[in-house]
Amino acid sequence: MDYAIIVALEMIRAVAWLVLLAAGLAIIFGMMRVINFAHGEFLMLGGYTVVVSTGAGVNEWVAILLLAPLVVGIFGVVVERLVIRQLYGRMLDSLLATWGLSMLMIGGVTLIFGNTVQGVATPFGGVRIGSYQMPVYNFVLIFFAAAILLAVWAILKFTRAGLIARATMQNPNMAETLGIRTGWVYMATFGIGSAVTGLAGGLLAPVTGVVPAMGASLVGQSFITVITGGAAVITGTLSSATILGSISQATTFWAGPVYGDAALLVVALILLRILPQGITGRIFKRAL
Amino acid sequence: MERSLTRDPGFWIMVVIGLVLMIMGPILIDMFTIMQITQYVVLSVFALSLAYIWGFGGILSFGQAAFFGLGAYAFAVSSISMGDTTLPLVLSFVIPAAFGVALGYFMFYGKLSDVYLGVVTMVVTLIFWKLANHTAGPEYSIAGVRLGGFNGIPSIPTINIPGQPDAWLDPAQLFRFFMGVLIVVYVALRILIASDFGRISIGIRENETRAALLGYDIRRHKVIVFAIGSGIAGLSGAMWATYQSFIDPNAFSMEMSAKALIWVMAGGVGTLLGPILGVIGLQWLTLQMGMVDFLNSLVVLGAIMMVLVLALPKGLVPTFKSLGIAAWTLWRRGRGVSSGVKKVTSDD
Amino acid sequence: MTDAEKDKGYRILRTRGLTMRFGGVTAVDNVDFDLRDGELRCLLGPNGAGKSTFFKCLTGQLVPSEGQVMLKEQPITGLNTHEIVNMGVGIKTQVPNVFDGITVYENVRLSARRKNTAGIARDVAEATIEKCGIKHLIRREVGQLAHGQRQLVELAMVLAAAPDLILLDEPAAGMTGDERDRLAQLVLEAARSAAVIVVEHDMQFIRQIAKFVTVFNRGAIFREAMIDDIMRDRAVQEIYLGKQADAAA
Repeated sequence: MDYAIIVALEMIRAVAWLVLLAAGLAIIFGMMRVINFAHGEFLMLGGYTVVVSTGAGVNEWVAILLLAPLVVGIFGVVVERLVIRQLYGRMLDSLLATWGLSMLMIGGVTLIFGNTVQGVATPFGGVRIGSYQMPVYNFVLIFFAAAILLAVWAILKFTRAGLIARATMQNPNMAETLGIRTGWVYMATFGIGSAVTGLAGGLLAPVTGVVPAMGASLVGQSFITVITGGAAVITGTLSSATILGSISQATTFWAGPVYGDAALLVVALILLRILPQGITGRIFKRAL
Repeated sequence: MERSLTRDPGFWIMVVIGLVLMIMGPILIDMFTIMQITQYVVLSVFALSLAYIWGFGGILSFGQAAFFGLGAYAFAVSSISMGDTTLPLVLSFVIPAAFGVALGYFMFYGKLSDVYLGVVTMVVTLIFWKLANHTAGPEYSIAGVRLGGFNGIPSIPTINIPGQPDAWLDPAQLFRFFMGVLIVVYVALRILIASDFGRISIGIRENETRAALLGYDIRRHKVIVFAIGSGIAGLSGAMWATYQSFIDPNAFSMEMSAKALIWVMAGGVGTLLGPILGVIGLQWLTLQMGMVDFLNSLVVLGAIMMVLVLALPKGLVPTFKSLGIAAWTLWRRGRGVSSGVKKVTSDD
Repeated sequence: MTDAEKDKGYRILRTRGLTMRFGGVTAVDNVDFDLRDGELRCLLGPNGAGKSTFFKCLTGQLVPSEGQVMLKEQPITGLNTHEIVNMGVGIKTQVPNVFDGITVYENVRLSARRKNTAGIARDVAEATIEKCGIKHLIRREVGQLAHGQRQLVELAMVLAAAPDLILLDEPAAGMTGDERDRLAQLVLEAARSAAVIVVEHDMQFIRQIAKFVTVFNRGAIFREAMIDDIMRDRAVQEIYLGKQADAAA
């Protein structure tokens, strides 16, 4: 019985993991139709922020919850102003340019920090469930995944800023004629998406080792989750993360992590084949 | 663009240059440089595979490395187990091409396009990469050849004369052989592009709706184009494997796919010459950068990619061509000769 | 032949119960439509009446929510566009769909090439270009032509394939008076060897070519009659002016 609980919790954690990885990217892609291929490096940046600041004595939680999002958010705004802004409407070009950015960032971070794996201690310890042990930190991850989704949903649905953002996303020209400064909206959206990504990177730092190329293995999962999810920010990310996360985790339990990874990729391919515009391209089309 | 191929001076110039290099190269140039150039030749074939499907078929693949790696591994496994390299070379085209048909069918009949297509090709390459890395144990072998996981497959035989497994090609002969392959691929692609099949592919790239409205089956067309590109990429993978005598999962890496994209972008989408120049330019650049300590290759690659997309979206060759034609027109006007402005379309 | 017997005759195009819904909107509502072989029919109706949506159901660009489309008495509902075209249909879309980056000649030749060998395709292309009066543009890049000229190029592409059924969506849009006259001439000539459906707004053009007309309104067929009767019909005028035809119905 406790094994069943562990399995269930691990599946929820896997879903939460994907949500964290994908949320920032989904915000940017869903709102702006821009592909940020440097997403993995933004995560990496969040991780390094935590590593560097805790190394300098900053409290771990402050580093994760405050500094990581702040640093990466600001970085995101700078990138948006310098690079992304030139490429609106050119989805493929934005993909290529941000791919270049990603290589630039990996190379740059390697030059500054070197290639060794840096670590951060995992806060809290373990919790006993029956005869098994599970890190308490898993619950932290699940909590924040849910919190981020909820916060974004609430902002989009209930605040004026959210309304403006949604209007700009749906019809930028119309929004402009209504006096909305779409340039600012895009900048803010990219900044917030980056901040969320930074937060995710910080949260993940205790779990994965922080290394310049860590983004490379994470970006694949992020992209697959977002693209399979489709254009809707919340519903898309949640639905694809749930399907992909639970199936891949179940496969991992059954056959090992390599097959689990493979299962995620294969399921994504199947989903894209059936729903070439992503899940929310067809189902829940008008959802947030 | 619709001039007959045989009357296009650019085509003949390319072929002649290629032939001269092929025949005279090892005579006039030192062996070390020849071996360097051999590398460029192999990568040029790889670049041409993407240049074709992207520039002349409208298919932007983010995973050309998947076929490069497939061809390399197919060659490695079959040449080691057979002892002769002739059939393996054929397989290195056929197997990736077959996979290209399968993947193409999956993608194009599923109406995937643009971004989603890019992601799928990327995912497939990622799958191959993970699988290749995972095959380290002795239980992972095909036809008696261990796949080697992240260690790769060593001691890949050099190309031998067909039928004489012990008659290996020396570096000069290898260079000539590879140049021959490059020339054949180049000519074959030019012929294909100039044919009606190629014209329709370009039509599909221009306006898919209209191509369908004329009765052409877009999906079938794209699958064929994609498969040809896959085969060529696979062949270049085999060339790479035999040139290095070694292959590892890096053949499936994202970096390999990224390089292909950069070469084509830099050289110009819609030309065949451009990407070849892109290979030479970029490889040379990384070589120079390798000697300088404070920048590493990723930084350079990344920066170049960004600069290209932001500043030169059409690529170097078309940009220079436009500049060249603009300058020429101005010069002629300056001399009081009126000239019709020729619209820049390029494929050479 | 009684009317009932005539009805049982061969129809090159038939729709039965054709319905197209987008979410909550019913753009085409249970339409039964017939076209005889060699007939020239105009589809009229105010904006939003569903003409273009109906058109797209015929070309395979949309899959109808309900109902059937039969071409030459074969069901074609849900077939891909290229499959429908290969059964002998020529299509000109509302926004011209042409190959901008290549010449007029190449555009028309690629159309002719579909069913003919290379040599014949060349001849057909040249003849069609001449017939459409765009021979002086033959080497020009289509992307650089004026809108009306592009429409004529697209028409040439359609004619070059020698289809049995020609579907034209707003062919006269953006044309000069001369171009419109030429277009009318071409359409009438084409109608001698093919069935033609023209969706149009341009009343001058309609008057030059129309005989039997189908008027759409609110996704359904409102009236079908000869052009003169339609022009005189009060109710038709009202639907164009926006007054509710509900009262009349």
